Amino acid sequence: MSTKRCFHCNEPVPAGFNFGCQFDGEARSFCCAGCLAVADTIIKSDLADYYRFRTEPASKANAVPTELAAALTEFDTPDILADISIQQGELTEIELSISGISCAACAWLIEKQLRQLPAVHQVNVNSATQRCHLIWHATQAPLSQVLNTLAKIGYQASPFIADHEEQIFKSELHQFLKRLAVSGIMTMQVMMLAVALYFGDYTGIEISHQGYLRWISLVLTLPVVLYAAIPFVKSAWRGIKAKQLNMDVPVSLAIYYTFFASAYATAFSTGEVYFESVCMFTFLLQLGKFFEYRARARARDATSNLLKIMPVAATLLHNEQQQTVSAKRLTIGDIILIKPGETIAADGDIIIGSSSADESMLTGEYAAIAKNVGDKVLAGSTNHDGLLQVKVTQPLLSSHLGQIIALQQRTLSQKPAILQKTDRLARYFVERLLLIAVATFLLWYFWLDADRAFWITLSVLVATCPCALSLAAPTAVTCALASLNRRGVLIKNSMVLDVLPELTHIVFDKTGTLTEGRFSIAKVTILDERFTVSGALNLIANLECYSEHPIARAFTSHLTQQLTLQQVDIQVGGGISAHYQDKVLKVGSAVFCKVNSPEPAMVYVSYDNTCIAAINLHDALRPEVPQLISMLRQQGYQLVMLTGDSSMQAEALQQQLQFDLMKKGCTPAQKVAEIERLVQAGHKVLMLGDGINDNPAFHAAHVSVTLETGSDLSKNQADVVLLQPSIGLLNDLMQASTQAQRVIKQNLYWAAGYNLLIIPLAVAGYVSPYIAVLGMSFSSLLVVSNSLRLLKK
Amino acid sequence: MSVIYVLIPIAILFVIIGLIVFFWAVRSRQFEDLDKEGFSILFDDNKPKSADKPTKPEQ
Repeated sequence: MSTKRCFHCNEPVPAGFNFGCQFDGEARSFCCAGCLAVADTIIKSDLADYYRFRTEPASKANAVPTELAAALTEFDTPDILADISIQQGELTEIELSISGISCAACAWLIEKQLRQLPAVHQVNVNSATQRCHLIWHATQAPLSQVLNTLAKIGYQASPFIADHEEQIFKSELHQFLKRLAVSGIMTMQVMMLAVALYFGDYTGIEISHQGYLRWISLVLTLPVVLYAAIPFVKSAWRGIKAKQLNMDVPVSLAIYYTFFASAYATAFSTGEVYFESVCMFTFLLQLGKFFEYRARARARDATSNLLKIMPVAATLLHNEQQQTVSAKRLTIGDIILIKPGETIAADGDIIIGSSSADESMLTGEYAAIAKNVGDKVLAGSTNHDGLLQVKVTQPLLSSHLGQIIALQQRTLSQKPAILQKTDRLARYFVERLLLIAVATFLLWYFWLDADRAFWITLSVLVATCPCALSLAAPTAVTCALASLNRRGVLIKNSMVLDVLPELTHIVFDKTGTLTEGRFSIAKVTILDERFTVSGALNLIANLECYSEHPIARAFTSHLTQQLTLQQVDIQVGGGISAHYQDKVLKVGSAVFCKVNSPEPAMVYVSYDNTCIAAINLHDALRPEVPQLISMLRQQGYQLVMLTGDSSMQAEALQQQLQFDLMKKGCTPAQKVAEIERLVQAGHKVLMLGDGINDNPAFHAAHVSVTLETGSDLSKNQADVVLLQPSIGLLNDLMQASTQAQRVIKQNLYWAAGYNLLIIPLAVAGYVSPYIAVLGMSFSSLLVVSNSLRLLKK
Repeated sequence: MSVIYVLIPIAILFVIIGLIVFFWAVRSRQFEDLDKEGFSILFDDNKPKSADKPTKPEQ
């Protein structure tokens, strides 16, 4: 096997393939005509810099089928365009979700390519979120032309409607950045002035200068306490209103108490000022929160390219006329035409035609389901090979798909509550801290030294300021998130790390999670000596190119040589036939190929009416599963499999993997019920699944994990997404959460220990606010560096 | 040392200008994708090779 790799996508070049071109003085080879065409377009458009600077290979480019190009024109209908874009005078603004962006060079390539269109006014590609924000003259160039331009350089783009939640997220990001900038820049200024003031304390400083520098510091600190620190106050206020003291209560207290004490000192020229501590404390806390937020935001963005499954357009039949309309506007009784390969836009009954449909989006099961006149079809499923006329029985929003989404939203509010442990600790700590501070003040004011009471209370508050305590958990969580991110585990809900160490049950879905979720070839039996295994597979692959059927995909990787086929004909539910070298070639069921089954198999091939091969297909178990299962069992987890499949395969898997509990033929609601039963019994449950049918169960479980190959909707809903097609990462996730938990504990012990040590000293008046600040900074630093250890490895 | 009465306010002015520029940059989405901007320096906008081609409308 040659190790030649495709210049464009870096996939191995199949033997006997001869696609190549010259670039930078070297001959480059390609794996398929699609990649060659894309590379050719890129180089001809003068965008070859992409190949010089990219850091990741591109994804394999599939030649754009003509039907797809035709489907894009649906987006040009004014009705539909209005649904997916915003009109701004003459210009139209749209958000596109682009698949195939692998690195920053892709973003550059797309921007360059689109700017070459004269109609494009502004384009901005975000490589992290795989989105493109486009403003263009829709009158000069239709959207389909823009999408086609992208398809030519190997990117599939589809219109995207950002949901409300995401809008909020975006404005939050902006707020974060601004607050960070204000506190950061002001901290620098105030610290510079603080250096002058400290030197003044040693070498002497004119009272007027000292006063001036203090007033300036006060003014510069104002934006920090009035703007940057507001989120802490809000959160503290929310906590107090809910009668739950959280970590932000002492944080806000420390910030404002220190600020007002310093302002008092400034106004009356007495005591000390600590403006720089106020600023720095705010800045550090903001920074920690910001990093955690970014790690989560990235995970969210990467998985929220949702809504693509919601069908956008439908072909309405009205008085024998075909008319493209927006799928949302279909009503009961409308008759729609569904072409092969299209997504069905509404629930309905078939009135003319027969086909098979892929309902895997809804049920998780990949085998196609035969559909004939009178059968129900479901919105969101894909029509495979026949032309259908369907009478709409349910519009999109109340369709089966709509209902699953509704079920999901209902379970969302029932998510088992996870109380943050650090918050519980904070409440305990804060109450005692405030009592001690008040007691100290009273003690000094009435019995010891009324003049010093204010300043000693300040040092108690500063010394015991829960800075280290409040940094203990977030920094560890952030570092754990970042390190898991690098290994390909995206965590969208950081509370997950809190629950994982207590996990008792792991629930698996079968199809697509434990198994590959697609057919692959298990066994090839050759019944005619004239053919070899690879020759026969190549014949099938050539023929199956014409089919949309999921079985066809099992063969695509076996295409080694292009053959000329004539009179290709697809018989729904039977197979596919064509003329090859003037003789009939058939691939399909035993009946279709007129074979009297010498071997029990799923697919037969006949040539010139003699059977030449029988092929067994199966949905293969992922290779890493047996090892993962035995590892998890060793760690003492209870393993459960809930599957919608009711076939024998579920039992076969149960035989092989020995789950503690297995239920087959589960509906989404039954999965929810099963998990709720476990949750009510007091267990901590993790759900691993991939299809939309698992989504309601995701919310019922404490933690939900999905795979990169899962549906977009599940990626959007799950707490954790595994970015590599290997569920072995689950073990990584478990280990990282245990480590994070350990580091958090160490941090908390240190912070609490330090506070216990310093409180008696501060109360006794031995700690000047000065030393208190130093001690606080040192212990924060120690906590942060301890958390940073999680990043290594 | 009375010069600080003038210099510090001027320094503060610069800080304010800096903050305004940063706020503007945040608002115009320049911080949304940090990977891409790092790359932009690598790509020449006007390569001598392509000088013979008609200039593309840049917007």
